[in-house]
Amino acid sequence: MVERNTFRLMLLILGVVFAFLYIPISVLVGLSFNEGGLPTAWTGFSVKWYGALLENDDILQAAGNTLVVAVFSTVLSTILGSLLAVGVEIRRRNGKWLETIIFAPMIIPDIVLAIALLSFFSLLGVAMGLHTIIVSHVVFNLAFVCAVVRARLKSFDWSIVEASADLGASTFTTLRRVVLPVLMPAIMAGSLLGFTLSVDEFIIAFFTAGAGRSSITLPMQIFAMIRFGVTPEINALATVVMAVSVVALALSQRLNRGGLPGQ
Amino acid sequence: MTRPLLTLDNVEKYFGNVCAVSGVTLDIYENEFFALLGASGSGKTTLLRMLAGFEQLTKGDILLEGASITQMPPNKRPVNLMFQSYALFPHMSVTQNIAYGLEMESLPKAQIKSQVEEILNVIQLAHLAKRKPDQLSGGQRQRVALARALVKRPKVLLLDEPLGALDKKLRSEMQLELKRLQHEFGITFIVVTHDQEEALVMADRVAIMKDGGLLQVGTPHDIYEIPETRYAADFIGVMNFLPVTRDGQGFVTSDGNRIAAATAFDGSLVGAAVAAIRPERLHAGTRSDNTLSGEISDIAYHGQDLLLHIKTALTDTPIISRMTADMADQHRPAVGQTITVGWAAKDTIIFPA
Repeated sequence: MVERNTFRLMLLILGVVFAFLYIPISVLVGLSFNEGGLPTAWTGFSVKWYGALLENDDILQAAGNTLVVAVFSTVLSTILGSLLAVGVEIRRRNGKWLETIIFAPMIIPDIVLAIALLSFFSLLGVAMGLHTIIVSHVVFNLAFVCAVVRARLKSFDWSIVEASADLGASTFTTLRRVVLPVLMPAIMAGSLLGFTLSVDEFIIAFFTAGAGRSSITLPMQIFAMIRFGVTPEINALATVVMAVSVVALALSQRLNRGGLPGQ
Repeated sequence: MTRPLLTLDNVEKYFGNVCAVSGVTLDIYENEFFALLGASGSGKTTLLRMLAGFEQLTKGDILLEGASITQMPPNKRPVNLMFQSYALFPHMSVTQNIAYGLEMESLPKAQIKSQVEEILNVIQLAHLAKRKPDQLSGGQRQRVALARALVKRPKVLLLDEPLGALDKKLRSEMQLELKRLQHEFGITFIVVTHDQEEALVMADRVAIMKDGGLLQVGTPHDIYEIPETRYAADFIGVMNFLPVTRDGQGFVTSDGNRIAAATAFDGSLVGAAVAAIRPERLHAGTRSDNTLSGEISDIAYHGQDLLLHIKTALTDTPIISRMTADMADQHRPAVGQTITVGWAAKDTIIFPA
């Protein structure tokens, strides 16, 4: 009976931990559907705050900017990160320190990276805007894409690369017809992860966006709005951002679990 | 002799300071089934990879039909390799795997299709053409890998432990199948294997490799019956070794018996030597050129024959004698019995100690 009670206690602790994690999010999502808009009283179900989002030009502009940043930084970091992962795996001899250098942007605090990038762009005298946010997001997304692809490469059978050469394929043909297709699930998973990270990234974007409203992203927009209190619109907006992230993350997980195509 | 198809001229390979292959000089002929046999670390796989173009030579030259291919990259060589792991493309179907090599030659689509279909019939996998490699059994994967290399009709097909991953029964089937395909396609096969039975059954000629060099090259019969070194004698099959002394007139065992041997006797050599006899050449009974007696310490039953372990004063390890099932019925050997076995002078090989 002792074991049974221990098990129940563990189950209870698990429940408390999950409650701690997800009750605030549930409250946010719930309030976004609250007709009255006040956090103190539930007055009925409504999607009118989502409608209000679509009529807010500031929010639509920020959403557009976020999409541009996320798409471009994802595409760039996917290409560079995947090639980097393959390159490092081939030159495994010097892998240890290379790996540390590659993964540093994942570990360095965002605020440090943000200040570093800001100083860097100022030093170069680059006018800041969406393009600087994109470049900055590539810096850390690259590391994440590389990490995901490298994990897959650990179980990659390199003899298929030799087999391809043996059958008459050039290095480029081998990359295009053998290496990339086999790694594609991991590449897609990495890029979706990068996309999510880019969509809700605030600090780095805030530092490297430059002045003015033209390059404001969604997280920055939310931050700007929240200074006047949490409005139901913000709840709705946060819910949308979260939904996008959750879907991308779930897709990423699914792709990366599936193993090789055909399995 | 006809002109060799493939010539290895003093081939040498170092990985850093470690010598993997050294001083290998070898001719391989058209239509030959050649086996490189050796223990792991003997350099046989490195040699095969140099032939495929995946390892650069440190020294020496490889000639194909008289022209050097040493500097030719793997994708330009008219040589194909069947990988030990098969290395099938996991994202492609059986058909796509086999067609890949032909597509690299930019052949017309219709021709690729017909060639793939033809070889699928040869390996009897036409019904599985749409499957992915992970939906195939080990034996089926092995045949796809073989077909993928064979369909290119290379001048030389290299096979790295082609049957290593298969179970015993399938392996003996595939040994004959490989031989049949080699005959049918008329392509020179070079097989790397550590399995001596595989080498003896399949190959026209066998090369025994040790420490990166060739120890002996010859027909399976010569390799088995006339080993040139004690290592080769020990490596291939089971061999009994009796320590003997050369006394100026012949060979004497430690208990004073003379041993008759076919090896030409050189009276000027005196001192220790070793006499080697195959277990199947030792027959129960005293009517032979040589005999020895001992107690049966163990009997290993193999179905078609028995291996008798005979403890004698001559050696530390028991002498092993093979007795066929027929003979076993007649003699009824049992552990603890004393037995006398004999062998002919021609079956005694003498090595320096």
